[in-house]
Amino acid sequence: MTSQTDPGTTAVGPAASAPPLDLEAALADSQVEELLATLDRDLVGLVPVKTRIREIAALLLIEKLRMGVGLSAGPPSLHMSFTGNPGTGKTTVAMRMAEILHRLGYSRKGHLVAVTRDDLVGQFIGHTAPKTKEVLKRAMGGVLFIDEAYYLYRPENERDYGQEAIEILLQVMENQRDDLVVILAGYKDRMERFFQMNPGMSSRIAHHVDFPDYEADELFSIAELMLERMQYRLSPDAARALGEYIDRRRMQRNFANARSIRNALDRARLRQANRLFDRRGAPLGREDLMTIEAEDIRASRVFDRSETTVEGSQ
Amino acid sequence: MATANDRMATTEMADRYRAGVLKYAQMGYWRPDYEPADSDILALFRITPQDGVDPEEAAAAVAGESSTATWTVVWTDRLTAADTYRAKAYKVEPVPGSPDQYFAYVAYDLDLFEPGSIANLTASIIGNVFGFKPLKALRLEDMRFPAAYVKTFDGPPTGIVVERERLDKFGRPLLGATTKPKLGLSGRNYGRVVYEALRGGLDFTKDDENINSQPFMHWRDRFLFCMEAVNRAAAATGEVKGHYLNVTGATMEDMYERAEFAKELGSVIVMIDLVIGYTAIQSMSKWARRNDMILHLHRAGHGTYTRQKAHGVSFRVISKWMRLAGVDHIHAGTVVGKLEGDPNMVQGFYNILREPHNAVDLQRGLHFDQDWAGLRKVMPVASGGIHAGQMHQLLTYLGEDVVLQFGGGTIGHPMGIQAGATANRVALEAMVLARNEGRDIWNEGPDILAAAARDCLPLRAALDTWGEVTFDYTSTDTPDFVPTSTPA
Amino acid sequence: MRITQGTFSFLPDLTDDQIRAQIEYCLGQGWAISLEYTDDPHPRNTYWEMFGMPMFDLRDAAGVMTEVQAARGTFPDHYIKLNAFDSTRGFETIRLSFIVNRPLHEPGFALGREEAAGRTIRYTIRPYATDRPEGGRYS
Repeated sequence: MTSQTDPGTTAVGPAASAPPLDLEAALADSQVEELLATLDRDLVGLVPVKTRIREIAALLLIEKLRMGVGLSAGPPSLHMSFTGNPGTGKTTVAMRMAEILHRLGYSRKGHLVAVTRDDLVGQFIGHTAPKTKEVLKRAMGGVLFIDEAYYLYRPENERDYGQEAIEILLQVMENQRDDLVVILAGYKDRMERFFQMNPGMSSRIAHHVDFPDYEADELFSIAELMLERMQYRLSPDAARALGEYIDRRRMQRNFANARSIRNALDRARLRQANRLFDRRGAPLGREDLMTIEAEDIRASRVFDRSETTVEGSQ
Repeated sequence: MATANDRMATTEMADRYRAGVLKYAQMGYWRPDYEPADSDILALFRITPQDGVDPEEAAAAVAGESSTATWTVVWTDRLTAADTYRAKAYKVEPVPGSPDQYFAYVAYDLDLFEPGSIANLTASIIGNVFGFKPLKALRLEDMRFPAAYVKTFDGPPTGIVVERERLDKFGRPLLGATTKPKLGLSGRNYGRVVYEALRGGLDFTKDDENINSQPFMHWRDRFLFCMEAVNRAAAATGEVKGHYLNVTGATMEDMYERAEFAKELGSVIVMIDLVIGYTAIQSMSKWARRNDMILHLHRAGHGTYTRQKAHGVSFRVISKWMRLAGVDHIHAGTVVGKLEGDPNMVQGFYNILREPHNAVDLQRGLHFDQDWAGLRKVMPVASGGIHAGQMHQLLTYLGEDVVLQFGGGTIGHPMGIQAGATANRVALEAMVLARNEGRDIWNEGPDILAAAARDCLPLRAALDTWGEVTFDYTSTDTPDFVPTSTPA
Repeated sequence: MRITQGTFSFLPDLTDDQIRAQIEYCLGQGWAISLEYTDDPHPRNTYWEMFGMPMFDLRDAAGVMTEVQAARGTFPDHYIKLNAFDSTRGFETIRLSFIVNRPLHEPGFALGREEAAGRTIRYTIRPYATDRPEGGRYS
């Protein structure tokens, strides 16, 4: 490279001669900080997830600044895997992620297309490619979220069409990084097995985010947040009952974190309505309409199996 | 001076029908309490009463004279459900800024009118009443037709959507030109102009309104030469092309004969003039519908009654009548060209012709909510003193579903007619492309044209010739005639 | 000769970036996009072959561009056009249609004339390309 400039200035390089880059301004400009703040506010717990999202956002913002001054590590790979049990907030965080990528300029439209195996894989020969391509076209410019992605791969059936979908996906994930970000989601153990069997997929995933189960007190906070949004409240007895409910439910089969809480609250509302209906004739106030009582929760089957009360709940 | 008592409708039947002369208001034509029914036909008149005639009585007189009344009481009214048949003036308001003028709203029962007949409608609404002595001037500003009435008309035989599907032309205004000079060319020379313009890039060429069958060119000659030109141009470009063959003649028999010949020759479109009359227009509409023909209407003669603000019929009413009567194209103004047209008024006409439903839009002169009940849309035609340099304004003002007719702007091109047509087509496509890309064509228009002209010599020559690519556009906001520097 | 069907045929062939911008416009209007191809460009050949199904619910031009590239790869010597369809009441028709691929050499059309009664002539337009069987017309 030939240069007419004085060696004294070339030696220091742009970092010294150009004004220092303003990270704060870039951050404010992207409005990402605001998004991360709402993420913190709206989602209970999930500290490790929020930390990972913040790290990814920082990486992408810095990469953008680096590109601005001519430094590049090549187009960053953005495909991700979100692992965790049901109801741990994977879809919600994926939607926020899509928005963050959009704000940072890594996703043109920032929309999320959520699919499962049935949306991608066909029933007969020649059916899968058009189905998968159709979904990919809809997701272009945004984020494709594949829930329980490991169902795409069924080694027990060697003629399974899922393999075809995987191959098309891989091609687009590699060649059209600017057009599409793919997030694969599912249980941690199954996803790990899936990646072991599909190294091509594994190597294209840049970020692994693990979603832990919620703690009992986090689930209680989630319940309170949900009730507040629906304009209900718990009586003090009901709050105690809900604490006990959560402790019991967590230990049972098919526990789905926040989703199980949502279902429990829906059933409690049903029982509250029936309770109010049964005492027709008695005066009914705004308070009554808002309040969930302990009996609305304790009528749950979760309390059936044993009479022992669990100590230490909220 | 009338008192409130005079205006009150007399309810005593015996009194009401005693022989003699009553005020129209007393006869029951002024009904300020009347709630127009959804099935009523409504009309808005601008009235200028004679000195000493109060506006309510004048409004009642208009309602009366355009429906059941005569100058005196007739006992035979009592053999009818007279109150139903009486038109009702239900609202009178002063016209803002014009102290001697009033807007009078009149409601007509649907059964006053024959289904599907513009002749019958107009015989009532603008029949005798415009010569009525107690008024200095009278203008029909707007009308509202109930869906039940609209449905008695077939409407445009083709409509915008089907016209585009037949022509296979989408996403941009269509381009046309009127053959010039208007008069004197032989059939063979006339066809040359048609061929050159279509070959160069126009979609349509057009006979002028007064090209019929004159000594210098018999109509059959014109049709034959024009269709040779149309087909040659189609083969040279791979596009569907058309020439509006004007079939206007002295009698319906003449017009049918000419239209049949146009069909036999494979023309996609025929043309008539407004002066043939409403009944002839409806007949030709039925013929066009039967024969898969696009029907172009030139509004020849309308200026005699649409232009003056105080007296006549607004063109927005003519537009409504023509959508009912059933034409596919109608000349409806350019805004920027050589002919009359305030942008708001012209957009009002365009909306009437093109929208499935018109909401009240006073700024554009639309006083009523009008549901077109599925009636097809009419393609407006912008013609008269427009050129390629105005393309950004034309597209902004008039939108996409319009025929832009550049007569002088094509045929007067210094490099020839083909070059003139090409200049217009390139300017148009470049402008649509830029608009779709999200560019601000209103302000960047001249730059966009200049950039397109770099790849297109004919466009450069057009812009040089008619100069003024950057026009002083402020003058077009005034409601009156706006001269441009464009040759006619 | 150059066939001038389609919205932008009088402009130099659109670049991929220009095509992408038009697609973004169409998607922004809520229109569905489809691709069609033919080697019979007769002006009244209404039904070109469909290259796949119309694409509904797309958010970004990249999906359509993928199909444009695929169509060009499969039919490099055909005419390929991109249509945008509007399902709005009162339209329910194509709103934009332009050519995104054309053969290198376009031989054009023959105009046939059959003399009929009087001075009447019956015209017929025939693409020279259709002298050869479908599929091998422009290669």
